[in-house]
Amino acid sequence: MREEIRKIQSLMETAEYVTDAPVATSVHLALSLRKPLLIEGHAGVGKTEVAKVMARMLDTNLIRLQCYEGLDASATLYEWNYQKQLLHIKLDEGTHKPVDQEEHEIFSEAFLLKRPLLQAITQEESPVLLVDEIDRGDEELEAFMLEVFSDWQVTIPEIGTIKATHPPHVVLTSNRTRELSDALRRRCLYLWIDYPTYEKEIAIVERKVPGIDARLASEVARFMESLRKVRLAKVPGVAETLDWAQALATLHADHLDEALVYETLGCVLKDADDIKRFRAEVGKAGLAPFLQVSG
Amino acid sequence: MPPRALSHAVVAFGALLRRHSLPLTPLQITDAVRALDHLDLGDRDEVQRGLRAVMVGRPEEAPTFDRCFEAFWRAPSDADAVAEALAGPAMPEEAPGSAIESEGARRERLALEGWSEGGDEDEGGEPLGVPAASELEAMTTRDFSTFSADQLDELLRLTEQIARRLARRLSRRRRPVRRRGRLDLRRTLRANLTRGEIIELRYRQRKRRKVRLVLLCDVSGSMDLYSRFLLQFLFALQRVFARVETFTFSVRLTRVTDVLRARSYRQVLRRLQEVRDWSGGTRIGESLAEFNRHWSHLVDRRTIVIVLSDGWDTGDPDVLATELLRIKRRAGRVIWLNPLLGNPSYEPLTRGMAAALPLVDHFAAAHNLAALRDLAGRLTL
Repeated sequence: MREEIRKIQSLMETAEYVTDAPVATSVHLALSLRKPLLIEGHAGVGKTEVAKVMARMLDTNLIRLQCYEGLDASATLYEWNYQKQLLHIKLDEGTHKPVDQEEHEIFSEAFLLKRPLLQAITQEESPVLLVDEIDRGDEELEAFMLEVFSDWQVTIPEIGTIKATHPPHVVLTSNRTRELSDALRRRCLYLWIDYPTYEKEIAIVERKVPGIDARLASEVARFMESLRKVRLAKVPGVAETLDWAQALATLHADHLDEALVYETLGCVLKDADDIKRFRAEVGKAGLAPFLQVSG
Repeated sequence: MPPRALSHAVVAFGALLRRHSLPLTPLQITDAVRALDHLDLGDRDEVQRGLRAVMVGRPEEAPTFDRCFEAFWRAPSDADAVAEALAGPAMPEEAPGSAIESEGARRERLALEGWSEGGDEDEGGEPLGVPAASELEAMTTRDFSTFSADQLDELLRLTEQIARRLARRLSRRRRPVRRRGRLDLRRTLRANLTRGEIIELRYRQRKRRKVRLVLLCDVSGSMDLYSRFLLQFLFALQRVFARVETFTFSVRLTRVTDVLRARSYRQVLRRLQEVRDWSGGTRIGESLAEFNRHWSHLVDRRTIVIVLSDGWDTGDPDVLATELLRIKRRAGRVIWLNPLLGNPSYEPLTRGMAAALPLVDHFAAAHNLAALRDLAGRLTL
């Protein structure tokens, strides 16, 4: 394994992120090839976390752009501070300033509200730009991003062109509620994060819930692994695992039993039908099948 | 720079991936070569992981990539070994199976071929499939046999018109308006810049959000007569809307969104034939369950779910009811289209249909153009 990748892996571990070779390799390549990294995966597998850890690892700013339906491309770049502009005009009343001077003043940087994309290209040091849940945004937004990513410069008609001296490292995440365009996919490095393996999940639990009983941690991981194989409406992610492990640790549990699982089920299953189905399963065969090593 | 031979190998590998339907861009190939500089070339797994990050764009492509990687980088000199390792089950180039086609499958194929030529249904080729379903087909064949080739063309045009009008109505962007809506400070300021005083206010309207459509289309034996017609409608919608997810089901559920994204309709028909498992009975409940299991994240309050089926279900009606309820809870609206409803003597008495009806917001036929136009009015939230 390449030294840098090993280093990234250990850096990510110190930043409290349990990682594996595919994640570390992708992050390494994204940094060295300076390409955006597109991360997809189920909800709650730690996609956003990768960007946060990257920022911590590089000791740089994290700039987050949360996408949503109807998000306007211009709102991701900059807006003019209209209230401040109005106030300025009002204050200048009676000074009989020429109109073009007035205009020049109120359309200067002091009146500019920088939104995430503009922020990202005006930093002293390359930040990490997290474009979160890009699948929620419209397709127009996607096209606009591609344009910005290609040359890292933005033109504001009133001020001029701003070009990034330190282009950001970009991480995009998607939950696949909609297919992203091929153009975007082809320009990014791609990483699919699946639910963690049993071993990885134990490691995550032990790192994030310090002091948890080793047996309990392994039982929790085993239980989650089995649970994700049951047909559920809402499959629990790593976030649920951690909530649950935390709850169990707070109750000073050292192993799982039926009563304890029932009491704390709300941390894991968040759909009434799922809970009903789970209870029926446990009623039939007990908890044992969920704690068995699966083939 | 990586050694020349290696760069060439990566280019050749890229060509191999392309032949297996990974749409690689030249930039990706260049990046793959560049990536070698940053990877431990002695670590095969690492090279595989690294190249995968560069050359794969979606999870579905990963298995193909891995198979090609195995084949290419293990035995680069032995063409036969490469060919053999690549002969996986899902390879697109695989020759059509020589096994004898099932009766149902043959009929399906004939139906589609007939359609692409705009020809009429061949009544003589019909007496196959489940008896009860066949009787129904016979009862309703008249609907479709009245369409001549010209009428089919007109149908396509009208369907597209409806779909376009719908799309225009649904996707208008925020634009300036005289009154109502939010104050548009930017336009207001611009309009009053030379006056030193705000005299004229400008407003803007909320941007209309597009409705997402999820189409679940029954393509089982009892529905194949309608499938031509219905898929035509789906296709027109698919091309116009930004978000239409299309699934077909009979015994199994198949996602055909990507297939329908192809440009020409003829091409679509050809490609649908590749993905389809159109035969045997229908298990609507099971298919909906599968949908809920893997695709429920596609459905939210801004989503209209349309099920196209005659309700002839060979599965458990309780499963159907449970799964439909699940969809209904998430979706903005659930519409059930049943082409049989166009027949005046039809009553929704099948067990499946009876179980589904109370859970459906809108129940309509889709047997003619008027029915489709009616449907268009229902596709807003």
